[in-house]
Amino acid sequence: MSTARVELKLSRPNRIYRPSETLQGRIVVKAASSFSHYGIRIGLTGSVNLQVRGGSAGVIESFYGVVKPIHILNNIIEIKPSGKIVSGTTEIPFSILLRNPKEDNLERFYETFHGTNISIQYLATVDIMRGYLHKSLSATVEFIVESDKADLLDEPISPEMVIFYITQDTQRHPILPELKSGGFRITGRIATVCSILEPLSGELTVEASAIPIYSIDIHLLRVESVLLGEKIVTETSLIQTTQIADGDVCRNMTLPIYVVLPRLLTCPTVFAGPFSIEFKVAIVINFQSELSRLYPKSDPKTPRLWTAMETLPLDLARPR
Amino acid sequence: MVLVLAIGDLHIPHRAADLPPKFKSMLVPGKIQHIICTGNLCIKEVHDYLKSLCPDLHVTRGEYDEDSRYPENKTLTIGQFKLGICHGHQVIPWGDLDSLAMLQRQLDVDILITGHTHQFKAYKHEGGVVINPGSATGAYSSFTYDVNPSFVLMDIDGLRVVLYVYELIDGEVKVDKIDFKKTATTHATH
Amino acid sequence: MVPHMADLSEFSHAVGQSKVVVGKLKEKEQDSEMVMEFKPAEQQFHALPRSRADLHPLHSHSPPSLSLPRLRQVDDDAENRNNEEFYDPLRVPDSNASPAIVDDQDFESSSSGGNYDSVQAQTKEWTSFKRFLMQRFPVSKMISLSSMSSTIVRGGKALEKTSTSMHLEELEDPQKSSEETAKVITRQEYVSRLHELKDEINRAWNAEDRVTSLKLSIKVARLLMDTSVLNFYPTLFVLAADVLDMLGDMVWERIRLKAEFAEDGTENFGASDVCTDAKETCYNWFCKVGSIQELLPRIYLELAILPCWRFLIEQPSEPLHRLVMMTRGLADPLASSYCRLYIAHRAQKLPSYDTGYFDQTKDIGYLITCVNDMKLVFTRISSSKETGNGCFADSKRSLISLMEPAIEFIMKCLFKDVSLHSVGKVLVELGLGRSQEELFGGSSSVSVILYHILKELSTDLVSCHAVGILHLIKCSNDSSYDQIFLFVEQCLNYRLLGLRLSEQISQTDAVDAVLNDVIQVVSQYGLDEYLKVLDAYLDIILQNQMDGHLKAILGRISELACDKVIADDELAGLQSILVKLLSHFKDLEVVFSLNHFLEILDLMHGSSRSIVNMHILDMATRNGHVRDPTTIQLLFEISQALHDDFDLAHIKSDDNQQQARLISRFVLMVDHGDEYERHLAFLVECRGAFGSITELKEILVHSSNCLAAKATKDGKKHLGFVKSCIAFSEVTIPSISGHIKQLHLYLETAEVALLGGLVSHADGLIDSAINCLQSFDGMGGSRAAVDSDGILSSIRKLCSLSVMVPGDPEVGILHIPKSILSLINSQPWSPRLKTRIFCAIFSLSATLSQERLPYRAVHPEVPGNDLLFFGDSSYVHELLSLTESVLQNLVDVIELEPSRVKYFQKITNVNIETSFFLSIADLCYAGLKAARGTMSLEACNCIASSFKINEHVLPVCSKLIETAKSCLSANDRYLISTISILDKNLPPAAVSPSIAI
Repeated sequence: MSTARVELKLSRPNRIYRPSETLQGRIVVKAASSFSHYGIRIGLTGSVNLQVRGGSAGVIESFYGVVKPIHILNNIIEIKPSGKIVSGTTEIPFSILLRNPKEDNLERFYETFHGTNISIQYLATVDIMRGYLHKSLSATVEFIVESDKADLLDEPISPEMVIFYITQDTQRHPILPELKSGGFRITGRIATVCSILEPLSGELTVEASAIPIYSIDIHLLRVESVLLGEKIVTETSLIQTTQIADGDVCRNMTLPIYVVLPRLLTCPTVFAGPFSIEFKVAIVINFQSELSRLYPKSDPKTPRLWTAMETLPLDLARPR
Repeated sequence: MVLVLAIGDLHIPHRAADLPPKFKSMLVPGKIQHIICTGNLCIKEVHDYLKSLCPDLHVTRGEYDEDSRYPENKTLTIGQFKLGICHGHQVIPWGDLDSLAMLQRQLDVDILITGHTHQFKAYKHEGGVVINPGSATGAYSSFTYDVNPSFVLMDIDGLRVVLYVYELIDGEVKVDKIDFKKTATTHATH
Repeated sequence: MVPHMADLSEFSHAVGQSKVVVGKLKEKEQDSEMVMEFKPAEQQFHALPRSRADLHPLHSHSPPSLSLPRLRQVDDDAENRNNEEFYDPLRVPDSNASPAIVDDQDFESSSSGGNYDSVQAQTKEWTSFKRFLMQRFPVSKMISLSSMSSTIVRGGKALEKTSTSMHLEELEDPQKSSEETAKVITRQEYVSRLHELKDEINRAWNAEDRVTSLKLSIKVARLLMDTSVLNFYPTLFVLAADVLDMLGDMVWERIRLKAEFAEDGTENFGASDVCTDAKETCYNWFCKVGSIQELLPRIYLELAILPCWRFLIEQPSEPLHRLVMMTRGLADPLASSYCRLYIAHRAQKLPSYDTGYFDQTKDIGYLITCVNDMKLVFTRISSSKETGNGCFADSKRSLISLMEPAIEFIMKCLFKDVSLHSVGKVLVELGLGRSQEELFGGSSSVSVILYHILKELSTDLVSCHAVGILHLIKCSNDSSYDQIFLFVEQCLNYRLLGLRLSEQISQTDAVDAVLNDVIQVVSQYGLDEYLKVLDAYLDIILQNQMDGHLKAILGRISELACDKVIADDELAGLQSILVKLLSHFKDLEVVFSLNHFLEILDLMHGSSRSIVNMHILDMATRNGHVRDPTTIQLLFEISQALHDDFDLAHIKSDDNQQQARLISRFVLMVDHGDEYERHLAFLVECRGAFGSITELKEILVHSSNCLAAKATKDGKKHLGFVKSCIAFSEVTIPSISGHIKQLHLYLETAEVALLGGLVSHADGLIDSAINCLQSFDGMGGSRAAVDSDGILSSIRKLCSLSVMVPGDPEVGILHIPKSILSLINSQPWSPRLKTRIFCAIFSLSATLSQERLPYRAVHPEVPGNDLLFFGDSSYVHELLSLTESVLQNLVDVIELEPSRVKYFQKITNVNIETSFFLSIADLCYAGLKAARGTMSLEACNCIASSFKINEHVLPVCSKLIETAKSCLSANDRYLISTISILDKNLPPAAVSPSIAI
């Protein structure tokens, strides 16, 4: 019957829940005419989906494949026994405790994350069973899981600042001869341990540069590693680029580094057995160069002749 | 008590640069309720000056007036009196009482104020009173170059008028007074 | 009378008939006495008695008021003009500015946050600032676009394409993308494209598609990254800021509604009052905005929604400070300046907080950082090396001038709420002062920034710290790359200091020290800068009577100005200085005696010189007569220069009129005292020099007549001179336009001639006057604004004048009235005019018949007609015949009236049968009737006051009264008084019942 629709509405607009909390909401059924059903159930699933698409190993074909997902949560609860839904809009409230204290065997609740190779997703699905003749009515919503306060570290996240120097001598890739000879020195500090709720902060000063600067960008990178057999396949991808200097900025003027961490694309750093999710921050200085014009849209991760960079690990954590 | 300044034939700047300073210092804003000017001011600036003394200004046209919008003659009523104004160069012969009386009949006024002769005059006849305030600057006239600057101030109070004649003689301001009443007969005919 | 007579040509016939009547009267005269008898004059008896008045209404109890309003309007005008001329040229808007591109209505945006009044004031201020920005930097019609502005060029299409496809295109064909950089678009297109974008944003928002709104807004903000067309940038900024403000307001409004405190309408809330949902939405906006890759649009977007920080945190001063710091990352000086400008603008939308940073309610620390950062930018610009491009310095200058409005606006915001107490702190923070004690002890500053600080400081502070400020100006060396530019910049600051000090002039040692320093510094300047700076200090010098300085300055100016062509700017400077001198000194001779004043004046030319000349003339004529011959000569030359500069193409323009008025006034005010010949010679000179000023020629005639009158008064020895005056007037009058004016001037000259005893001259002048009448059209037909009242008055005056003109037997004793009569009969004048002129002649002849004329010429050698002809029977005859002829004419004219009236009635009846026109006709008829009645009464009065009422006169009077009665109401007061006067004058024997009412 196409005249009935079901919807799942969660109690929180941002759909964020902690494992120790109850997922609350309403099942909204809109029916043109009344119908009977064989029960209304809500299924909660949570899983880590892993796949390998080549990655840094470079041998694409041999590694390509899907790794068996890791189940975190799989729970079906009957909200209503069989009965009848009257015509019009029917709202059925529900409330499910996410972590069943009795079942301790399951995986820990990783925070929701959507990456390239790794995806951690939690779904709630409602099913209204309507016997053999009819397809059951169903609807699915994703809800977002954040770690429980109890599971988090007691100590506050120390705003650990790393001091960095970027000069012609710190570069591990070839750079233009004029850069090498003219020299440059960019210093600053940046947080390498950072609360996921706060922007990534720091500061940067161009102390000297013989070649005019074209742009300074902060790249936020994620490093996803998946255990595949005995190998660890790691892929680094760029999440976000934030320009902090446009053009040849004044020397010795402190520029703030302020990078808002994108939600869903970041999560607390995870080291699990079969996989890990880590982050890096790269400070990339582009110098003005005729060469750069020839490659206007090159991969920002790749070091170029006219760029200088410093990549630092970034430990993201959820504050208590 | 209403103070009415009657002034005329200033001929500024053609025959005089300005009013005598002694007159100027007497004529201050705020004292006078109406100004009657018989004409020949001759420029706008004089008009503005008079206006600054008292905004209620009535001017008729002399032959040398820059502003051709002034009327040939004008009447106005102040208290119990009806006043008529005319410059007077149109009167034949100039300053003639019969001719003025004729004009007065025509305008149907109690007091007729005219100028042109540059000589103070105040006449009474059966029809009422005829006043000539003279020339306030002592400008030469059609028939004399010996003119004492003069003007007239009328204090109108009910049926009574006290006429003050201000005359500059040998550098001194002399003030004379003329007193008249609107008679019952003239009143009756009105 | 022929009843249907309406045509005016029939008048001759009427006159012809009247002759018969006169003939009859003459017959009677021969055997009896006079038929008509003139009345004797009797006015002496009526003079009112006068007595000395010791007390009078104008009796002054207080000393004469000094505050008498000045007589001359000219002065006030001149002062107003002064004010305009003294307007700081720095603030004069660019006259070449293109009209505002965006209409004001677009700028009206809904306000958010803060007190309503102050919000309104801010909105107003911002709107006018935006207009100023666009006008100050006019844009050429075409704008070349770099690829940055693809949003504009590709229009709507760009929005549909994915960014990757765009990149691909560019990758495929790098040539193509470089072609695009040369793309040219009209300014109007650019602007209308931005308007379209604004509309699209609005549409998307209203369709709940907020993501698109945001994306489009980012595109708009991104446009600001392109500073390639320098002069367009301010306009671009205004347009983009407008879009971003709109987006910011919409976001604010949306979150405010979610925050659910809208019911009480209050804007005073804390972040703690805001519900989670609203906070979540708000946080999302900041996240979205924060993820914008490019720095500049990210800053602008966050600024757009800056007020929304209030939903999240109690005191949003931290983000504000961060944004200021982030702006440092914008290396382009123009882009970063305007970004800071936008910061200052958006920060106004935040409520006041006590940050503890300064002891006032508004946090201004971020503004101080802005200014200090800009200082670095300025220093960097000026220290950058020339790159072989010749016009590098010029482009630097234009860049700095483009950045100036940002500095100006930020300074205004910075000093707006600063309390007196904390100004010191601010100055120290800005690096001007070393400490609170030494507010201006800093060693280096940037001229442009110093300029705008100096502009905002309080008058008191400026005058207290003048020396320190001067020191700072001297030390500003930011423009070291360009010595000339440094001078220009410093010069502006010296000038501004002078202007600020002039606001409250005090005599202190400090002022003296400042002046010494300034004069020393500027002594190495060129003329233009020298004038600009010293012009600002002149008021101080003058008011403190620093005569030494004044002398030195004038000397230096003439040194600098001589032997060079003076440019327009320099002329303006000279003009300002000379006018200030003129306004300061009350006495023109003092100004003239200043060393070099006249020398400098001579060096000037063009309109500046004219303006100074006008000031001189105005001043010269302000205090009465000009007597000093040297001054007169000087002023004459000045007038000549002014006259030569007349814009002949616009001879009627206001400027020229003002100049003409001043020259005329000067001519009037010249007084050579007893040296009449000299004065006349001066008048002759003026006539030659200022021929094009009509008004002046009238004045020349009046002046020469007045001179003649004065000379006559002085005695006989001046006869020749009087003749010269009369001759001068006589020759001058014909060149004056306007017959009535000529007529009056002829009469005045004739009067003066009579005063001087020059009878034949008077005769000639009167003839000329009568000739003037010939060209007058009395019917008021063809010529516009024909003044028939005026002409009548003139003729009447002529009649009165002729009373004292001795008759010349050679041309006829009654030459004048006869000329007038023949004139009337030859002219198609209106009956009303004719009646009155007949009455006038009637009165004249009555006067002439007196045994003793009421007045005669004052000159002993001019005999009156009474002496010449009284008793002469031919004279009496001639008078009587004239009188009778006039009487008949008079009666005829009045009798003719009804036919005119009826004729009028008839044509209206026949041709137009509507009641409307009939009623109009009735009205006209009534009007004509009343006029006829009045005419009859006038004639009757005239007869009654001229003649004894005897049996010959009585019928005429009776007839006139009957006519009047038929035309007027019986209660008409003129009618009643006329009848009563007639009754009174009737000889006892001849009392006739016909007159009784």
